[in-house]
Amino acid sequence: MDAVKTKKISLIVLFLVIGFIIPQFVTKPYYLHVITMCLLWAYLASSWNLFCGFAGQLSLGHGVFTAVGAYVAVMLFNDYNISPWIGMFAGAGAAVLLSILIGYPTFKLRGAYYALATVAIGSGVVVLIENTQALGPFRVGGAEGLIVKLMGNAPAFFQFMSKQPYYYIALVMLIIVVLFAFWLKNSRLGYYLSALKEDPEAAEALGINVRNAKLVAAAYSAFFTAIGGVYYAMLIRYLEPNAIAGPMMSNEMVFLAVVGGSGTVLGPVVGGITLHAISEVIQFYFGDLAQGLHLFIYGLIVVFMIMFKPQGIIEILQKYYNRFLGITDRGEDEKSVKRTAGS
Amino acid sequence: MIMKLLTIKNLNSGYGDIKVIKNVSLEINTGEIVSIVGANGAGKTTLLKTISGVIPAESGEIVFDGKRIEHLPPHMITDLGIIQVPEGRRIFPMFTVYENLLIGSVLPRTIKERKNNLERVFELLPRLAERKTQVGSTLSGGEQQMLAIGRALMGMPRILMLDEPSLGLSPKLVSTVFEIISKINSQGITVVLVEQNVKQALKLSQRAYVLENGMIALEGSAEKIINDPQVKKAYLGL
Repeated sequence: MDAVKTKKISLIVLFLVIGFIIPQFVTKPYYLHVITMCLLWAYLASSWNLFCGFAGQLSLGHGVFTAVGAYVAVMLFNDYNISPWIGMFAGAGAAVLLSILIGYPTFKLRGAYYALATVAIGSGVVVLIENTQALGPFRVGGAEGLIVKLMGNAPAFFQFMSKQPYYYIALVMLIIVVLFAFWLKNSRLGYYLSALKEDPEAAEALGINVRNAKLVAAAYSAFFTAIGGVYYAMLIRYLEPNAIAGPMMSNEMVFLAVVGGSGTVLGPVVGGITLHAISEVIQFYFGDLAQGLHLFIYGLIVVFMIMFKPQGIIEILQKYYNRFLGITDRGEDEKSVKRTAGS
Repeated sequence: MIMKLLTIKNLNSGYGDIKVIKNVSLEINTGEIVSIVGANGAGKTTLLKTISGVIPAESGEIVFDGKRIEHLPPHMITDLGIIQVPEGRRIFPMFTVYENLLIGSVLPRTIKERKNNLERVFELLPRLAERKTQVGSTLSGGEQQMLAIGRALMGMPRILMLDEPSLGLSPKLVSTVFEIISKINSQGITVVLVEQNVKQALKLSQRAYVLENGMIALEGSAEKIINDPQVKKAYLGL
């Protein structure tokens, strides 16, 4: 037992050390940017997973939350000079409110109908932003987007001249969301979510307030997703309605989480990092060859993963992880894949 | 003295435009086992679902322990002590037996009593204690039914409503399950039993209602109903 614990801790330490020293070795801004984007996507997929993975709800409209977070924070910053470090919490708060407004009527819907509703809301929000030039004193910018005003090197305003600080912020955000996911998974709410994922009617019959459990989990998910949106805005320094709110954003979160292993703590992280890295690599090598070829290859990989490893990449890793720890019990194996992957 | 625990008056409910339960009135007294029997599609499950709040009542009254409950959401009705063992067991297949039982006691009033309730359930259903760490999907049908009953008991029911507990079980297991129900009743828990297995259900219960096309066709003591020529012909094949 103790040997297992030591191995677990040393593995965590190893990953943390690797995470923190990467910028010492990767000095070219482009490469560091790519790695940073991998972390951001891992973060966003994990945020999506907090509700959708754990509770088995297919939201295809999480771009709404990245957009609300990003726009609120950027508008406060552009027009009122409020630091995005503060604005991000205003944006996240707005996203939480919105998640409740959306969740209240849609959580009655089951399966495909819920997914369709989120698609509709997601597309609606894109159109809404594209046709809004200003909101009271705030400039929204409509379809041409919103440029984040440049301050130079201003750490207090979430702006840095080098890529390194962005990398470390993304890393810390990812660590926080993983710790939160781990806590949530093992909390009472986490068990409610697994129960209602497996059988909502049975969960209801036992006295679980299914709608409230969903609302709370969706609020957590919206909060973290919105913070990711603010980060994205500050990293790219330009908000384009379709990129921040559109189906690309929403679907990507779902792909990464599902391919990695939705409903597990580390699945979305694994999916986010590996899949995004693959997409960058094929874009780098095939991007010029033919228009859209890299997207086609990327799509194929997603399809094959879903066909042959429906539980996600995490399922493969779990096997090696257990072997490393010296656990061979099959019953335990099956359970840990579902529940405590990579704890 | 007979205490009325659950009274239903002129209840109507159904799915949208389709009316399933038509003007049903019935009474459940404290400590009884009451059977609700009837053919497929008679509305037995719909009646239970309306009582537990999963399907909203269109009109009529459901009074539990002096309180109107027909407008309450399911989790609040469960909190009052009306707990359902759903048809087809509906256990959580990826949870272990132990976790399935724990999730039966999510209500604040039951959390404090969790340890005692667990002991009681394991005493009543020793099979579950043996299978404690096993995942729900690996249990046999009978064991799953016992788990569903144990899970409901963790919620400390005042009325336990069982929907077709004998469904898909071998005759021997059916007897076992009915024995367990009788034991639960002897611990002071009122039982409402919905069954297609009319003969066994009537043997176990004091009173019964026969549901036909969403209406109460017959009611009275179990003895009276089992000897009713119509029932004999229609349900018992005699």
